[in-house]
Amino acid sequence: MKALLQALVSGLLIGGIYALIALGLNIVFGTMRVVNFAQGTLLMGAMFMVYWLNELGGLHPYWSPLATIPVLFVAGYIIQRAFVSPLLARDRAREPMSVLLVTLGLALVLENIALALFSADFKTVQTELSIATFKLQGLIVSVPRLVGLGAMLLTCVVLYLFLTRTDLGRAVRATGQDREAARLMGIDDDKIYGVAYGLSTALMAIAAAVLVPFFYVHPTVGTSFLLKVFVIVVLGGIGSMPGAALGGLIVGAIEGVVGLYVQAAVAQIVLFGIFVAVLFVRPMGLLGVEQR
Amino acid sequence: MTPESHPVARALGGALLAVALVLPLITRAVLEADDYWVQMVIWVMFFAYLSAAWNIIGGFAGQYSIGHSGLVGIGAYTSSLLLIHGGWSPWLGMLVGGALAAVVGGVIGYPCFRLRGAFFSLVTIAFAEMLRVGAELTDTLFGLHLNGVRGLLLPVAGDRPWLFQFTGKRAYYYVMLGLLLIVLAVGWMVKRSRLGYYLAAIRDDEDAVAALGVNPARAKLAAMMLSSFFAALGGTFYAQLVGFITPTRTMSIDFSVQMVVMAVLGGVGTVLGPLWGAIVLVPIAEITRAVWGGSLQGVHLIVYGALLMVVILYWPQGIDPWVRRGVEALARRRRPAAPEAAVVNVPRAVLPERGLLAAPLAQNGGGPVLSVRGLSRSFGGAVGVRDVSFDVAPGEVVGIIGANGAGKTTLFNLITGALAHDQGEIHFAGRRLGGEPPHERNRLGIARTFQIVRPFIGMTALENVVVAALPRSRDVATAKREGARYLGFVGLSHRLHTPASGLSTGERKRLELARALATRPRLLLLDEVTGGVDQRSLPGLVSLVRRVKAEGLTLLIIEHNLRVVTAVADRIVMLHLGHKVQDGEPHAVVNDPAVVDIYVGGGVHVAS
Repeated sequence: MKALLQALVSGLLIGGIYALIALGLNIVFGTMRVVNFAQGTLLMGAMFMVYWLNELGGLHPYWSPLATIPVLFVAGYIIQRAFVSPLLARDRAREPMSVLLVTLGLALVLENIALALFSADFKTVQTELSIATFKLQGLIVSVPRLVGLGAMLLTCVVLYLFLTRTDLGRAVRATGQDREAARLMGIDDDKIYGVAYGLSTALMAIAAAVLVPFFYVHPTVGTSFLLKVFVIVVLGGIGSMPGAALGGLIVGAIEGVVGLYVQAAVAQIVLFGIFVAVLFVRPMGLLGVEQR
Repeated sequence: MTPESHPVARALGGALLAVALVLPLITRAVLEADDYWVQMVIWVMFFAYLSAAWNIIGGFAGQYSIGHSGLVGIGAYTSSLLLIHGGWSPWLGMLVGGALAAVVGGVIGYPCFRLRGAFFSLVTIAFAEMLRVGAELTDTLFGLHLNGVRGLLLPVAGDRPWLFQFTGKRAYYYVMLGLLLIVLAVGWMVKRSRLGYYLAAIRDDEDAVAALGVNPARAKLAAMMLSSFFAALGGTFYAQLVGFITPTRTMSIDFSVQMVVMAVLGGVGTVLGPLWGAIVLVPIAEITRAVWGGSLQGVHLIVYGALLMVVILYWPQGIDPWVRRGVEALARRRRPAAPEAAVVNVPRAVLPERGLLAAPLAQNGGGPVLSVRGLSRSFGGAVGVRDVSFDVAPGEVVGIIGANGAGKTTLFNLITGALAHDQGEIHFAGRRLGGEPPHERNRLGIARTFQIVRPFIGMTALENVVVAALPRSRDVATAKREGARYLGFVGLSHRLHTPASGLSTGERKRLELARALATRPRLLLLDEVTGGVDQRSLPGLVSLVRRVKAEGLTLLIIEHNLRVVTAVADRIVMLHLGHKVQDGEPHAVVNDPAVVDIYVGGGVHVAS
């Protein structure tokens, strides 16, 4: 029983990080109905920034968002304006699937440039917290992972407040619901799309800051996270923010529990089974709404 | 949309094939170490093959799978395991693997096909990734030794054609050439078939296809299963050629992405695009590998990624149109001023056809065609339509008027099944409608046009109407003849082969009307036929609607132009904020002070 709880706790803790990335994807999908395949490579880029800021500047990863959030926000804003916006304008009549391919191309370019520049070595940042743990009711809790979960929850709250309590946030939601109507209300929809995109990539700065103290930094790390996050997004409901959080925690928990009792391979198979079952029973995901 | 069949094109294709057939013999004669070159051409053909398999669902239907490597892996592992454990010939094993992949592809794809395309991309990539990680972590499964990440080493048996093993590369070359020709031929046949028309239309506008009585999910399922089958055959070929498979290699996401990049660069939706893409891209990978060697593994992927972005952003047509134009230029030089090949024989002077619409009008009894009772639908808290009831008698033309937001288009969406109603009943031809999706309601006899015209922009006018005629036609040729007749009826017989993108708004409205009529409806819903049309085109469109009416078809029309609606409607139903506020004889309704007040803010009298 204790081992089960232990596995559950470890799984939930890493699930928080998954959820953070899924949240980023869903902000973009929720407003623009497009998938950003470069999300993972942007996370990777942010992790390298955190690594080098620590290596060269001695900056603690937890302080890095002060520097990395603006950089990633601007990167997201530029990506939206340069690559996504023209395609949204061109494919107004049909679903903008070409955006998906452009971001896929961008991911390919960025990841392989990183491989060429940084080589395939695994880099890590040791902080005083990296291996710190404490016991709670006899369960071992990893401190950096707990910080990760906390960061996810805090981000959810801030994001929720932003989207519901500020004019800019309301404009993002309005544009997501009906772009034409929002435009008629005087909202600069292009700017709002840029902001939403920047917001989603800025979340990767937070994810990177909490990941680096306990996870390796590598050119393909972002993609490996992203692929898992796709499963989460499909499970939780594409475009749904609570779905992203729930899906992340569920996947983390399954990985932890099944991986403990049987083996990691079985966890994959169980995950796959659940994935297919959800597809058939609720194709729009656990908390998703059907998109027409 | 049918691929080039001009004599010059055929001659060029024949020459290309002849070169491909004798190439290994030439390289043997003139090059030392020619196996390297033969191998390189095998890779070009292999990637062209995989990309062509992907193209059936990705290119033709516009459903971007990013998980085809998983299907390749299923093919490779199925035939290899059957060979290792059961001594099965991979020639048989590849068919088993193909069938298995088709089933898996169908199971993965079908739930997605009722949702948006982005969803399908996510699901396929997640599927391939889980399959890869699962295979990497699995040593034995049901007694089969998968060897996890170490993969399978196939037994070496020397020159055993029955076991798909040959010494030297030449035999593999011809096997691959054969496979490539088969998949291209299948692509060509699909493109010309009923399915091909449906897929091309789905790529442009899925909702509009459903409104024509085509089940989009079923068409996509067929394409996905076909595509999965051929992808898996490629996996078996890879296993036999290389003799060694691992999950990391055969199921890597890079594989999936390469199929996409090649098809997109070559020309999405074309039959030969994947071939052009592979001819350009595979050598790039070889060259970068030769220059940078093992130190920089992914240089070619940087090039692929950048090309993908550039092509999507600035060159969405890809290479194929260039090839076409090249062939056409050659053809013109050989035979100047060749008459344009007519796809269909249309009687030159198409008179307004009489009696074209008569057939479907055998009405049931004398009851109303459409009967709506207490119909309601809200969106969140907002009212779309509330407690609306009315009947439409056979042959009657009922106009629906009301300000923006009155619920007119919502009402249409409820009747056509694009939206589900919350409360109330819809009876059509004596039958109560329940949860039928739009394509089934169309088959029952309800057709519609859209407020904002939605032609299939990548198709010609005739092809647009063919899509609509196909579900009720024996074959494509019949549908083409039918389509030409309906285009004649709406006055577009001079535009048969004009791309829909080249039509004016007025012509697009006519095209959409022809498309709806070609589904042989018993009830036709017209959503603002005159909306967005310039003043000069207006009288023509109005007289066209009158002719449809004269044919006896039952019509429900949303119309903002009161002059138009009073001219064609027998009765007018007025909606306001989702409620029915008036129902009666046209002039009485539009001159009712209360109606006038709501509609135009008072004081306007509409003359007849």
